[in-house]
Amino acid sequence: MHDSYDFKWEDLGDLSDGRPNLGAETSVIVYRLMQYTFKDVFSKKLGKQKTVELFVKAGTLAGQQFCRNVLDTSLPFSQFMAELKEKLISLKVGILRIEAADEEKLQFVLTVSEDLDCSGLPIFGESVCDYDEGFIAGILEEYTGKKFMAKEVDCWATGDRTCRFEVKPVEALDGPA
Amino acid sequence: MDPRKILEELDACLKKAMSQGLGKNGLVFPIDPAAVEDEQLRPFCHRLAAVFDMVNESYKYAEHLSRGDLKAKSSRNNIFAMPLKGLQASLAHLTWQARQVAEGDLNQQVHFLGEFSDSFNHMISSLREKKMIEQRLELITNVLGEGVFLVDSHGKIVFANPEAMRLIGYRFDEIEGALIHEILYKQQLNGTLYKPEENPLFNAITSGNDYNDEDGVFTCKSGFLMPISLVCRAVYKDNILDGAVIAFRDITVQKKHLQTLEAINELLEKQATTDALTGIFNRMKFNKSFTNEIQRAQRYNTPLSLIIFDIDHFKQVNDTYGHLAGDSVLKNLVRLVASNLREIDIFARWGGEEFVIQTPETSLDGAIKLAEKLRSKIENHDFTEPEKITTSFGVTSLKKGDNTISFINRADEALYRAKKGGRNQVVYMENRHD
Ligand SMILES: [Zn+2]
Repeated sequence: MHDSYDFKWEDLGDLSDGRPNLGAETSVIVYRLMQYTFKDVFSKKLGKQKTVELFVKAGTLAGQQFCRNVLDTSLPFSQFMAELKEKLISLKVGILRIEAADEEKLQFVLTVSEDLDCSGLPIFGESVCDYDEGFIAGILEEYTGKKFMAKEVDCWATGDRTCRFEVKPVEALDGPA
Repeated sequence: MDPRKILEELDACLKKAMSQGLGKNGLVFPIDPAAVEDEQLRPFCHRLAAVFDMVNESYKYAEHLSRGDLKAKSSRNNIFAMPLKGLQASLAHLTWQARQVAEGDLNQQVHFLGEFSDSFNHMISSLREKKMIEQRLELITNVLGEGVFLVDSHGKIVFANPEAMRLIGYRFDEIEGALIHEILYKQQLNGTLYKPEENPLFNAITSGNDYNDEDGVFTCKSGFLMPISLVCRAVYKDNILDGAVIAFRDITVQKKHLQTLEAINELLEKQATTDALTGIFNRMKFNKSFTNEIQRAQRYNTPLSLIIFDIDHFKQVNDTYGHLAGDSVLKNLVRLVASNLREIDIFARWGGEEFVIQTPETSLDGAIKLAEKLRSKIENHDFTEPEKITTSFGVTSLKKGDNTISFINRADEALYRAKKGGRNQVVYMENRHD
């Protein structure tokens, strides 16, 4: 056994071979069951802040890999986003919508409705879509070649019905703005 | 305050709201929860008051949204406002999408908004189709290699395709709104300016008549005139003349081609009529003009004489000094003879070292004198290699009943006699049948 593991897209396996009867899809319950039990166990072992950090990191890796393997990064921005929206709907991840986009500064306000991670959750009073934050940033990082930061400012779990993300390149956060 | 009293107060408040609406102040919770003595009732009243506040807030929130204020906010814990937040998010997204579409982004699609999605997506597909047709039109005009202008009914340029811009050298913003008959179609083929009222393109645009010009010019940005062919057709809006479409092409190449053809034709004709070595007429051209000249002389009864001459012992020149020297002798001889002839005399190489001269308006005497003069000049000329050459001449003039063959044969006979008589001399034939 190695000390660490490097994810590869191929590790997702051949589902047509592996699940000839059950197929490629599963239920949101199962997905959330895994995510929130991970959260439970991680937070008890590492603390909540560290857990959130790791979820964002894992989400970022997922976004990069998703972009590299599923999306066409040669498309111009508006077409790329249209394709991303279609893919996220067809994979039943959520309904991505853009509310504002500054293509020069690469700053965006995105919403995800019917989000896989949080829609329908009880009102916790805090946003929970840490993995989503990473996922969105990861996709944009892969598309633009720049480091991104996505912050969930509204969430179903804060009572906002739709998850709203403010997305910026990392240097814009550090720079003089 | 007993529970029944609280319920009655609440009912009165709701009754009023249900008949008159919420009004400016909204639902006002009729009692002060803090003033309720019953410890079990007090939190119940607090919660009810909070629900009243939520109703009021979501009512205001909905009012803002209904006015299109997408910056409106509602508290996170307001359970009544939550579906409206979903709607607000959708509207915010639609606002952005509409702006994108206006800027030409036709990738936008609306999902999960019922009939609105259908209408919006239908609009997008219509726009895509329109854009595709526009792109094809543009492609077609470019593939055709034609410049296309659209002008209004005064001749103001409102559209130009890239090919038009490429040809005339202007950027569109430099000619947008300019009058086409003042900036481009203002000069005639010879460079003179059209008088404003006589500009045929302007007249066609303002009258709605068709106009074609196969041989016009556009004044390019550089100031140069570009030969063009153009077609102008009126366009109408609601049956009212709305301007014209003008398609044109650069015909410089065709013009050049024509010029080249002319040059080639000229060269071919020259080759067919001249002797390559000496540059004077060849036998074919001579025969042609000789026939005409005989007819003319016979019709007007004017004299016409013919001189045939030949270089004596030319074969020896070639054998001794080589063909280049021989050619040089021929060229020098031709230059010498030609310089002693009149404009109307026709001088041709008959073949080899033999030459003919037809001398219109010249009697036999005149022709004999001319032949003698030429013989003498040749004899005294320094040809370098060899220094000296001599020539023999046969001379005759046109008689009644002559044709080209009899005329030439007589001159030939005279030349033969000159050769036989010892060369370097002029022999004439008055009339073979005399
Ligand atoms: Zn969320």
